[in-house]
Amino acid sequence: MTELTAAERLDRTLAIVPWVANQPGSTATYEEISERFAIDADDVRDCLIITSMVGVHPYTPDLLINAIIDADSVTIELPEYFRRPLRLTVEQTFALLTSAKALLSVPGADESSALARGLAKVLTTLGEGTENAIDIGVDTASEVIADELRGAIESRRAVSLIYYSYGRDDTGTRTVDPWQIHSEGGHWYLQGWCHTSEAERIFRLDRIRAVGVTDRMAIAPDPLPPFQLFDSSEALGQVSLRLQPSARWVVEYYPHESVDIESDGSLVINIAVGSLAWLERLLLRLGSEAVVVSATNDLATAGRGAARRLLAVYGH
Amino acid sequence: MSPNDKSAEKFERQMNLLAALTDTVQGLRAVDIQERVPGYNPDHESFRRTFERDKKDLLSLGVPIEIVVGATADLTAYRVDRSKYELPDPGLESDELAALHLALEAVTIGSEMGDMARAMWRLGGVVDASGEDAIGVPIGELTELPSDASLVPLFRAVTERRSVTFTYESSNKTSTRSVEPWHLAFKRGRWVLTAFDLERSDQRNFRLDRIRGVVNLHDQGSQIHPAPTTLDEPADPWEFGEDEPVQIVVRFDSDVAPFAKESLGASPSTLGHDGSVTFTVPVTNWPAFRSFVLSFLDHAEILEPLDYRDALIDWLKDISEGHHD
Repeated sequence: MTELTAAERLDRTLAIVPWVANQPGSTATYEEISERFAIDADDVRDCLIITSMVGVHPYTPDLLINAIIDADSVTIELPEYFRRPLRLTVEQTFALLTSAKALLSVPGADESSALARGLAKVLTTLGEGTENAIDIGVDTASEVIADELRGAIESRRAVSLIYYSYGRDDTGTRTVDPWQIHSEGGHWYLQGWCHTSEAERIFRLDRIRAVGVTDRMAIAPDPLPPFQLFDSSEALGQVSLRLQPSARWVVEYYPHESVDIESDGSLVINIAVGSLAWLERLLLRLGSEAVVVSATNDLATAGRGAARRLLAVYGH
Repeated sequence: MSPNDKSAEKFERQMNLLAALTDTVQGLRAVDIQERVPGYNPDHESFRRTFERDKKDLLSLGVPIEIVVGATADLTAYRVDRSKYELPDPGLESDELAALHLALEAVTIGSEMGDMARAMWRLGGVVDASGEDAIGVPIGELTELPSDASLVPLFRAVTERRSVTFTYESSNKTSTRSVEPWHLAFKRGRWVLTAFDLERSDQRNFRLDRIRGVVNLHDQGSQIHPAPTTLDEPADPWEFGEDEPVQIVVRFDSDVAPFAKESLGASPSTLGHDGSVTFTVPVTNWPAFRSFVLSFLDHAEILEPLDYRDALIDWLKDISEGHHD
């Protein structure tokens, strides 16, 4: 157990003292306290010995903390003060509410679960207006799909997915050994081995149309490789873009190989392109804010090609 | 810590100080504290330094120390209102306590939030449980939410009904905004504040990643405008504009229909025989909506109003005619 700082020791003691006083017989063992409050058993004992000397002027017995220190346990009776723990700080309230609400947004989370009940009880002790202060929407991936995938991970079965690939702008079927479900930045992802592309792949849950569990055994590495959303080694090619200063967000938003600021304030950025559809979307969005300076493969005409395809939809 | 060393002395002194402050009704002056609380040096200067440090330590734990201003500096008194100090008993069962602890462990909010589990000591310590028991489904999944320096101050402003001022960057324009924060939401990967904008006299949405510098909090209870009981769920970039709302009609073909439904979070106004769907979307920020429609490539088409359809066609013509070489 790590050594506590002075502030942590005080914080922990102010929580331990009322907790012990509220136990049956106002008694608890150092072992129990140590486990529950993540503090060394000897350290607890020392803190409680000192606490037994605390009191207020004029130190009549009703104003003193009555702590009986035994070899293995302590009995505490309290005067009017220290009967309840200190209120949560704003940071603590925020962290507690946000994490509980985030976990309850897991697809399939039960509204009558221990967490939902616990959160509701904590909310009754906080100020009015706290209950609805925050909403956490980690996207609304389908519960059914998340359940199917969890089942397949558990029983180590490969799955067949009908998946819309945003990068390729294409819907197709994939066979995948599912490894884990992970949430990052507001979206749920499945990490696994894709037999169709014979590589590790990440699938966004809200783009999975359907899941079929197969009889095929799935293999998962142990430990799992780190979860990475973007891998530039799989790039389709490189593109160099000249951006107007107003399109600076591109530099902040996408991983890039290099960026130079020109004398007129424009930026020249080199980006690894993961998919053609990705580049098309970027160029259509930027319009005249971006000019392709150079590109590998067929990427130089990506924006023009996409614009023509769209104009055809509009009858031009 | 052995009961005789320096840190033990400090621990005992701070416990005694806190006991004294929570036990007084009218407050204790510095001179009372020096006299009555054991452990302080009789020398005035040395007492003052130690007392200031102790006060700071207690404040950092969240102890609500109140200052009762007297006629002269000597008469200034200090106290802790027990009703503001004490956490009411939420009456948590051990499975509920375990579930809350699990949530704090499973969810990461940026990296600078500090030790989030600290909330647990005050709620009654930690009890372990499996994820299945906590929310009814297994938790192999960990959730990461991005953090933002404005989050905690704005959360405080919402819960304490404080108005705030901050610098905000929107579409190439940076301005100072005075608002009454109503609600924080994390949606589509972003933190969003819904607030009453005092200059525009209307509800506005703000992206936290566009707030520059610090958020200045005004007095507790300084909000005048009550939050509506139901808020329009903010989220989409095209709702973050200053324009008058325009109803834009867009058709998405069957390939992307489920995805469009997901993104727009509403029901389509019409369903086509070919599986396509049509939505009518209120837009206050045209460039943001144009980018959204373009992200569907040739699977989406703006139908109405005609001037917006034409604006998109002109935009595409510019690109196809080779601004890009």
